[in-house]
Amino acid sequence: MKTEIYNTFINFSDIRKRFGQKQILDNSDIEIKSGKCILLYGKNGSGKTTFLRIIAGLETPDSGFVNTGLGKYHWKKCRQQLRNSVVYLHQQPYMFEGDVISNLNFSLHNKLNQKQRLQRIRSALKWAGLESIAENSAKTLSGGELQRVAITRAWLRNPEILLLDEPVTNMDYESRLRTIDLLLNLKQQGVALVVSSHDPVHFEALTDNCLQLSEGRLSDYTSSENITPINYKKYIYEHTY
Amino acid sequence: MDDSTSITLDAIHLLFSGDAELWAIIGVSFQVSSTAIFISVPPALIIAFILAYADFPGRRLLISIFNTLLAVPAVVIGLTFYLLLSRQGILGDWRLLFTQSAMVMGQAALSFPILVAMGHAAFQAVDKRAWETARTLGANRMRAFYTVMKEARFGLLAALFSAYGRIIAEVGASMMLGGNILNYTRNIPTAIALETSKGEFSQGIALGLVLIILAFTLNTFLQYFQGKGHLSN
Ligand SMILES: Nc1ncnc2c1ncn2[C@@H]1O[C@H](COP(=O)(O)OP(=O)(O)O)[C@@H](O)[C@H]1O
Ligand SMILES: [Mg+2]
Repeated sequence: MKTEIYNTFINFSDIRKRFGQKQILDNSDIEIKSGKCILLYGKNGSGKTTFLRIIAGLETPDSGFVNTGLGKYHWKKCRQQLRNSVVYLHQQPYMFEGDVISNLNFSLHNKLNQKQRLQRIRSALKWAGLESIAENSAKTLSGGELQRVAITRAWLRNPEILLLDEPVTNMDYESRLRTIDLLLNLKQQGVALVVSSHDPVHFEALTDNCLQLSEGRLSDYTSSENITPINYKKYIYEHTY
Repeated sequence: MDDSTSITLDAIHLLFSGDAELWAIIGVSFQVSSTAIFISVPPALIIAFILAYADFPGRRLLISIFNTLLAVPAVVIGLTFYLLLSRQGILGDWRLLFTQSAMVMGQAALSFPILVAMGHAAFQAVDKRAWETARTLGANRMRAFYTVMKEARFGLLAALFSAYGRIIAEVGASMMLGGNILNYTRNIPTAIALETSKGEFSQGIALGLVLIILAFTLNTFLQYFQGKGHLSN
């Protein structure tokens, strides 16, 4: 079972996107594997958000191909499949009117009955340690709570790939740890993670693969420049500050 | 007792004594206006939503057009449909002039730009992330649309009530298209106009009271609804 999970992958190639005169993404490739976490880092405005939104099927690329192991297809053909298997979390996740429970309920399949829904919601609340705020209005959550509710809401969808846009930006230390804890747990369950950040030092424990987005291109520094775990941190430090 | 007091008392008496003619007129009003709203709400909301959420060439022009249509007087809408439905008009063969259907058409057309303009503003006020979040969490277009409608519900309800209030109190189009036929196309505003011209004020005042009570009820409901929304925020 485990080996099978780790074998599933989605490969995106030749992704291009321009806004007006500006080429935001220029022939970018990425391979996303189950149970692995890719850190996508780059300066503000380098196109991280655009890239994640394209993978999620929320933004239309100018070109791009998707390969899920069954062959290489034009992105248009895969849009529905992407929507079914990928969940994208906005940098500032959006909560619907209502309490935390009703927001979690949104992710559940229609086939479930009321009792099954409550059961799944309760176990999700427990999983993320959100029991105490279950009945709070979702619009008034703090930054850390908001992110954890959003991750839990995504988890209830059983996504194959979870994309997180700067998930711990502006978060205090404790919230950051709790968020990363949840993401580690998701990884263990076989979910593929892509996390964008302009400040990657926080994700050391989580990251398997580090990609830098710069001038529209993605480069895989961890393999091409043979960065060891020791100088990895130093490398990232030098390239972000 | 002076004149106006006795007329007002007469009006209240008429209203509560179950005067058949009076209640027939009220019935026509509600039936015609409700049908008109029922017909125009779905397409108007979809257009409002597309104008707020989709980016396509001509979008701004369309918004301007609908905002302009808001200012078109009811009599002009009435005249337009009169010309379309009259014997020589393109739709003359339908033989609809001076029927409730003609009134419904006129009132639906009147309410349409209000629903689109106010609906557009209501949808615009909802964060784009609402739609995207619904979609990325697996909602199909229909469910995502419904979700965004729920987020915009106060604004949409205000649009609905404004449109309803406008058409149920409107006299020009109803008079021209319905013809003010008792028990068929005579509604509240056309009846008030007629009774006043005959110098019979009590029925007019009774009907006016109905419109005021309706407006008050809708507004109170809206206030209550919005108040509740703000408190829970
Ligand atoms: N919808 C859009 N229309 C025009 N330009 C956009 C749009 N979205 C993003 N951009 C531009 O694309 C560039 C990359 O943006 P973004 O993907 O948000 O970068 P990042 O997330 O790395 O900060 C920025 O210069 C931004 O202004
Ligand atoms: Mg961004």
